[in-house]
Amino acid sequence: MQTEIKIGNKTYRVEISELPENLLKVRVNDKDYFLTKSAYGELVFLEDFKPSFKENGVILEGLAEKEIKSPISGTISAIYIKKGEKIKPGQKVITLIAMKMENEIISESFGQVKEIKVKENQCVNINDALIILE
Amino acid sequence: MIIKHYKILPSTNLKAKEIALKVEPWTVIVAEEQKAGYGRKGTPWLSRRGGLYFSIILPKSQIEDLQTLTILAAFIVAKVIKENFKLEPLIKLPNDVLINGKKVCGILTENIIGKEIKTSVIGIGLNTNINKFPSDLENIATSIKIELGRKVDDKKILNQIIEGLKEQLKTISQ
Repeated sequence: MQTEIKIGNKTYRVEISELPENLLKVRVNDKDYFLTKSAYGELVFLEDFKPSFKENGVILEGLAEKEIKSPISGTISAIYIKKGEKIKPGQKVITLIAMKMENEIISESFGQVKEIKVKENQCVNINDALIILE
Repeated sequence: MIIKHYKILPSTNLKAKEIALKVEPWTVIVAEEQKAGYGRKGTPWLSRRGGLYFSIILPKSQIEDLQTLTILAAFIVAKVIKENFKLEPLIKLPNDVLINGKKVCGILTENIIGKEIKTSVIGIGLNTNINKFPSDLENIATSIKIELGRKVDDKKILNQIIEGLKEQLKTISQ
């Protein structure tokens, strides 16, 4: 889909296209922006994301995030991913019980799990690394 | 306030998490029956017809406020039971309400967190008009109807609990 939008005095050429792996590319003039759909259907903006392309699809590279940190202190109650698994934005990776609540930690980026730094029932502090991505 | 009513759901919390980003805060999901109701750490919560099972999609809040709200939810449920029916509920912190030593209500708050909190839902399972529990639960679970000997008005109870929660969240997040 192509269109032109005018903001103030300037006109921008906008092109939206769908890519494999649930990606959406929005090209504004000559700059590309990428979005993807999370597990809950929300569109997530992929910052610093530069996919490269080959014959059989998109290679998901250029990730900003290399680790998933604990957003709060608590106890790990479940781990949903395995070493070597490819994960996507919006994917549930860990449940952390904290402050009497259950907290689903989701990934905000694409990546492959290089290392899981925690075990079930382990206590973690805020900002502790939970999962290392590559 | 929007109330979405379902005859049957796997779980109102699951449904609430699924639709949270598409609806307004304080949207309430109510199910007459849950096929896979659960509490903390996935413990099953028997949710047969006759109980009041609902989840509320909460506005974006600080995690500390959500924690306070979870604990206050038990107080609100106990207060509604006490004031409407002259029963003597007890709160088993953090998430349960008991009458005569048996569980009548369970509460589970769930958050979805990326870099920040994306979604928060609070689920409440209240045994209002359940006539009888299976034999393995009858010594640990009860309903308002069993304790009171008469049917109670689910709709009125639901409204009172939601209003109580709204009022509390307003107070604690100020």
